Amino acid sequence: MQHLYIDRYAGLDSFIHKIDPRIKVITFFIFILYIVLTNPFSYLSFLLYGLVILFLIAISRIPFPFIFKKTLAVIPFVVLIAVFVPFIKRGEVLASYTLGSLRIEFTREGIVLFWAIVIKSYLSILCMILLTSSIKFTSLLKSLEKLKIPKLFIMIASFMYRYSFLIIDEAQRMQRAKKSRAFKNKKGLSAVKMLSNIAGVLFVRSYERAERVYLAMCARGFQGEIKTLDTFSIVPRDIMFLVSIFATLLLIQFV
Amino acid sequence: MHIPDGFLSANTWVSTWIISIGGIGYCIKKLSKILREKMIPLMGVMSAFIFAVQMLNFPIAAGTSGHLLGGVLAAVLLGPYGGAVVLAVVLSIQCLVFQDGGLTALGANMFNMSFIGSMGGYVIYNSIRRIIGNNKGVLIGTAVASWLSVVLASVFCAVELAISGTSPLQVVLPAMALVHILIGIGEAIISVLVVSFILKIRPDLIYNSKGE
Repeated sequence: MQHLYIDRYAGLDSFIHKIDPRIKVITFFIFILYIVLTNPFSYLSFLLYGLVILFLIAISRIPFPFIFKKTLAVIPFVVLIAVFVPFIKRGEVLASYTLGSLRIEFTREGIVLFWAIVIKSYLSILCMILLTSSIKFTSLLKSLEKLKIPKLFIMIASFMYRYSFLIIDEAQRMQRAKKSRAFKNKKGLSAVKMLSNIAGVLFVRSYERAERVYLAMCARGFQGEIKTLDTFSIVPRDIMFLVSIFATLLLIQFV
Repeated sequence: MHIPDGFLSANTWVSTWIISIGGIGYCIKKLSKILREKMIPLMGVMSAFIFAVQMLNFPIAAGTSGHLLGGVLAAVLLGPYGGAVVLAVVLSIQCLVFQDGGLTALGANMFNMSFIGSMGGYVIYNSIRRIIGNNKGVLIGTAVASWLSVVLASVFCAVELAISGTSPLQVVLPAMALVHILIGIGEAIISVLVVSFILKIRPDLIYNSKGE
């Protein structure tokens, strides 16, 4: 199963794509932990992390514009929260401006903290994008299951993945039907009401679909457990990848 | 409200992860007793529904648009445990696939949105519903709980950021709360309209529809 948006570049055939999904998940999760736990003052470490990630993106052959577009997801939160940090953190004052009665001070601690937050969130998001763009969603779920994430949770997530396409299609069909019946795009409460009715119908249809799916599963012998064929295998190349990334991270700590 | 990686200190994200894992484990255990084998398909399809609903955008003033968060809506329709599990699944997928919220911060995001937002919202909804009774109670309960749960979730988010030393409470709390007081109004209006529509066509699908 492959989806044009979610699994857009998951079908490429590069070194990164060939790594066993379990090893890849572990490696990138460790990478993110390292990034998050790094001391804010070690500027060089962040630079080196960035270079390692850029190198990995380059050999994965996933186009850079695709990845950078996805990183924009981090911006709203940074803008809402982090921009205040340089002004409010107490510490050594680097510069101060007086705007009327308001006194604005930049502190060294504040700027370091701001930089650390922005760079940590950006590097982590790059890691996540590289991980999930180089792996098929179904393999990602399967590898999480192998890594002892509760099976029930994984099964619910895999059902969600399968049915989200159907339900999103259904929602789009309803909006198309509304348009084709010459409903003007009104603003205000009537537009909200129309949308709520669509959501209401969508809920009833989804619920009824879930009942039918359940009955169909029962008819096929479902007893609360899903059995899948396991095709994962760890080869020396995978171990090499894990060890070399881990060694690089350790080395960066000592720089 | 999806916190990215790097905003929370280690003790904050580790402790919220532990609370969330325990909470979801408890909810899944409760659910599998109530729903038995039906739980997997029902929760899966309902997660897909909440996911799809979050994609329906509606215009707000000045060219911006918003969408439903669906925490209280999920809890009103599926009950407190079902609502929390559905939101947790949706948040995990958003974190993994769409990078909405970071991996280390996922525990905190689950805590804020599925436990405070959905389960906490259900507690508010249910007590109002009991006091007023009937369909009127359902609708008023949904309205108040939707608004309050969005605001409460943002307050918890602000507190977590403050504990992490990212931003002092007196700055981040009013900023987050003010934004979400406005977002909550939209959330309340839409949730009430959706619930009133479902009350008209399939009232039996509201969780605990007989009000026992």
